[in-house]
Amino acid sequence: MASSAHAAPHEHEGPHVDPRVAEPPTSPAETTEALVGKFLRVGDNFWRAVAVFGVLTILGIIGVVVRLINGVGDTIIWGYYVAMFSFMITTASAAPMVAIAPRLANGHWRRPLSRAAELWSVVGLLSLLWFIPMLWILPPLSDGRRSLWFFDMSDPNAVPSYTPHIWASAAILGLVVTGLALLWVSSLPDFASIAQRAPQGSRQQRIAKWMARGWQGTSAQWFMVNRRLGILGALYFMMLIFVHFLISVDFLMTLVPGWIDSLYPITHAANALQAAAATMVLTAWVLRTFCGYERYIGIDQIWGLGKLMFALSLLWFWFWFSSFNVLWFGKKPSEQAVIELLTTGPYLFVFMAVFMLCFVIPLWTLVWNPVRKSLWGPPLLAVSVLLGTLLDRIRLYVGAYSVDGIGNPSVDKLHGLELDHLPKAVWPDIFDVFIVVGAIGATILVYMFATRIFPVINIWEQRELQLYDRGHESYHRGHVRIMGKSE
Amino acid sequence: MLEHVHLDQKTINKELLGGVLGTPRWWLPTVIFLLIVVFTGLGAFGYMMNKGLGVTGLNRPVLWGFFLVNFVFWIGISHAGIMISAILRLTQAEWRRPVTRAAEVMTVFSLMAALHTPLFHVGRPWRDFWVFPYDFARGVWPNVRSPFVWDPSAVMTYLIGSSLFVFIALLPDLAIIRDRAKNVWVKRLYAGLCLGWRGTPRQWKMQAIAGILLSALVLPVFVSVHSIVSWDFAVLIGVETWHSTIFAPYFIIGAIHSGVSAVAMLMALGVWMWKLDNYIRPDHFDAIARLLIVVATTWFFFFFIEWVFALYTLEGPEIGMRELQVFEWPYSGLFILFLLTAYFIPVPMWMFKSVRRSAFWMLITTILVNVGMWIERFIIIIPGLARRQPLTFDWGTYHPSLVEILIVAETFAFVALGMLLFSKMFPLIPLFDIKEGMTNRREFKIGRRTIPATVRE
Amino acid sequence: MLAKSSVLGLFPEGEEDKAADALDALRDKGYTHSEYEIITGTPYPEGTFGEEEPKHTLFRWPLMGAACGFIVGLVLTSGTQLAYPLVTGGKPILSIPPMSIIMYEGTMLGAIIFTVIGVLVESRLPRFFMGAYDERITEGYIGVTVTSDRERALEAEEVLKEIGAEEVKRGWEDSDPPESTDDPEAPESAEDEQDA
Repeated sequence: MASSAHAAPHEHEGPHVDPRVAEPPTSPAETTEALVGKFLRVGDNFWRAVAVFGVLTILGIIGVVVRLINGVGDTIIWGYYVAMFSFMITTASAAPMVAIAPRLANGHWRRPLSRAAELWSVVGLLSLLWFIPMLWILPPLSDGRRSLWFFDMSDPNAVPSYTPHIWASAAILGLVVTGLALLWVSSLPDFASIAQRAPQGSRQQRIAKWMARGWQGTSAQWFMVNRRLGILGALYFMMLIFVHFLISVDFLMTLVPGWIDSLYPITHAANALQAAAATMVLTAWVLRTFCGYERYIGIDQIWGLGKLMFALSLLWFWFWFSSFNVLWFGKKPSEQAVIELLTTGPYLFVFMAVFMLCFVIPLWTLVWNPVRKSLWGPPLLAVSVLLGTLLDRIRLYVGAYSVDGIGNPSVDKLHGLELDHLPKAVWPDIFDVFIVVGAIGATILVYMFATRIFPVINIWEQRELQLYDRGHESYHRGHVRIMGKSE
Repeated sequence: MLEHVHLDQKTINKELLGGVLGTPRWWLPTVIFLLIVVFTGLGAFGYMMNKGLGVTGLNRPVLWGFFLVNFVFWIGISHAGIMISAILRLTQAEWRRPVTRAAEVMTVFSLMAALHTPLFHVGRPWRDFWVFPYDFARGVWPNVRSPFVWDPSAVMTYLIGSSLFVFIALLPDLAIIRDRAKNVWVKRLYAGLCLGWRGTPRQWKMQAIAGILLSALVLPVFVSVHSIVSWDFAVLIGVETWHSTIFAPYFIIGAIHSGVSAVAMLMALGVWMWKLDNYIRPDHFDAIARLLIVVATTWFFFFFIEWVFALYTLEGPEIGMRELQVFEWPYSGLFILFLLTAYFIPVPMWMFKSVRRSAFWMLITTILVNVGMWIERFIIIIPGLARRQPLTFDWGTYHPSLVEILIVAETFAFVALGMLLFSKMFPLIPLFDIKEGMTNRREFKIGRRTIPATVRE
Repeated sequence: MLAKSSVLGLFPEGEEDKAADALDALRDKGYTHSEYEIITGTPYPEGTFGEEEPKHTLFRWPLMGAACGFIVGLVLTSGTQLAYPLVTGGKPILSIPPMSIIMYEGTMLGAIIFTVIGVLVESRLPRFFMGAYDERITEGYIGVTVTSDRERALEAEEVLKEIGAEEVKRGWEDSDPPESTDDPEAPESAEDEQDA
């Protein structure tokens, strides 16, 4: 930021500037010009990546089709599929929080990343699609399991047997709609910029013009945008927590008799925040390294997210240990059985990998500032966290869906206090592998296409930053950086 | 927007050391009153030691009563200091500056107060040292697998850590008092306490790093302390309402709720009693009230989930227990009072800007929160024990005796007394932090609008 | 060791540039940064006076402390349980979850205590020789001080006067400070010596 227009006279003896620090253009016109220009150009790398992830997506489609042919009656073969749904809402659907939380807290460092984070909400459309078969996979409440919904076996008509299905669908739909609304509202001013600068009559210009909804930039419009971003952001957060609550209980916990862990819904959401930070570190790193956004995304963003990942890896342990310690210490047979199924039994090695990847490795590397404040450290550890989260979701969902008697009303799950016998570990077959890579490939593909409609760097927030960032000014013999506070 | 008064260092010294170098008129009578309450409580404790625990209302099956409720309450309050000062330091929130010291000092005194009641409660307090691994002669060692050994280890760590934190952050201010003191002995005392502080760039840099580093170190300790306190209850499977995995985070967020409220209360008292309105501005109240809305709502969410999962078990005793909590007098009345005071009165009030910016209304609402949070602990601990169990041969409700009430009152007086005595010796607002804030403050104009700014890095 | 001597030049608030000039002048005269120091009553942004950035190793302290605390915690928990192997609650004698709680507290306690010691050591505290000091520094004055042997301290005094320090004071470790030439405040300076 040394070349800021507001910098003081001692420019020549300016502060030592780290080459990794982002140096965005300093005038609003230049910013808009540069970012719209980058948005309109598509490189060959983009299409190469589309090809790679397209192939993965096709593999995923094959996997899903084969599963559908096998039918939805037996839950055991669907464990990986449901785990991937959970992985999507844990990573992509949580990523917008990286834009929302610092925006509510007025953190300036978020600005270059806020759009990239909000863009992940587009993947919600994919997870909505992915969710549809799960409505058939999850048995109705009349199979006799515990549920949140006060379902009464003696009076099965009092509460609809498909209550979890209805509420989860509504919640996910609500989350996706809120996310898209948030993305659109935050993009309105940028669409207006694109509509002005894109070649007349081009497809992009037509889309942008339509999407801009006649944005002019009156103070009333800016006021509305800021208001709506605040409200939609808070709403998105609440919806996210709600979705994680419903999915982790109705689609996971209730399937394992005797699994009563009041903390787990919150752990599920907290893990999502950790995965969201990791997703955004990787996104930022890719945008900087491969997409030519190094003028906007610099060490400040990677560092900020690295600190967040460090804190969240501690949180991971705290939540895990809070559950584990209470269940372990109590020594109730029903609880011991659950610990054995999900942690110390057939999936012990998976759990140990998760423990290392989500907690031990990020903690003991990110504790060193040179690693935190580097361009390579946080991205590497983000891979570790994402891999750990993936394995964690697989361990839990595959384990839960392998419990015998799910969907069979003759097995008394409510009063059977514990798992009567431990199912064996379910290792993936080739189609499960297709489903896993396909879900990841499709997620990235959807994101990439979304960047063709929405500019991946928020243009107006960059321009707004120029109002508040006064750059370095000399202060006696030293230099200080002056940052204004937005409201 | 943050509106502020700009003051020079001399004025800051004069105003903020007023309570140390002079004595406000209300100070001595208040201290005497608090001393009376403290000694009455200690007298009650002496009586209890002489007569035995029979003088309390504790009896089978309710063997954890007011003492333990009060213990959890004060541990909760003690979380404010670190919550405010550590989190706000780490996030470089400017509004932390006038608040940190008072919050940290409250941590120290409320931790001491928290230690009172369980030590009294054990019945033979002269054997409290048994929790320490000291017995080399007989080879009898404390049982590490017991939560009652985890607990002292966590509380002692927290007490030592937060006291050292307060001391380190106090050094520059001690030097200021040393320089302002008139009496030669007072001067010598502070010269000794400040360890010869001079104010070199190295010392300031260490001070800044220590603030961040110690915050980062004390923060995980603070999380562990209340988690462990919650495990005193949660690891037990015998009592309904207790065995719940959510307890650790639920206790923490509850502690933050009551603790941050207590800090807001202190700020209001600072404005009222020490006339600190130049430093604690309406926008400070506004900021802490916004924080409180978030904290209170998160807390309420945890409370809600804890309930949902109690019903989710579909187990008769657990549900019977919840019915006792909600529908049977006196718990029903307490339950309603708790919900109203801890959430449904204060939070809607904080939605109004005029309430958030008023010291008076913040004082009232935050006192309400703490009344509610005290009752919350009562509702968690007592009904679970008082419920009729299949294998207990007597049951019944619990009535606190006068001795217990006096000892609980003693802890409140103790914290207030501690704060007042501290404020007589040391400033409750960190002078150097305020000065730094003033040095770093900038303003610039965009159009007609003045934008507050600060120096970063 | 020779008795240390120190002089102090005072610059009022707002004359930060003059204080920085004084540091430059001292540096030109060959004083090293172990001899001259700037003293302020409030933390200024780093480099305000063109002073050298203090080098420190504070970040190593908590790690050392954590390692010590962890080891003590490990020895204490495992040692006491092995020495008194009483099975309670059906749990193994060496139960990792409870042990880890106490080991964690030990680790954090070690880290905190070592950090505090580290802060004091790196701040060069406690300081027993206060040297030349003035109470107005905590009211906003900026002090430039030189602590060295007697000759160099006297020489530095001239430099500070030249730059235009509002006042120059002396603080000597031994009890008989030399007669000051033109400073009427000099006799008082002995009073400013404070031993911590």
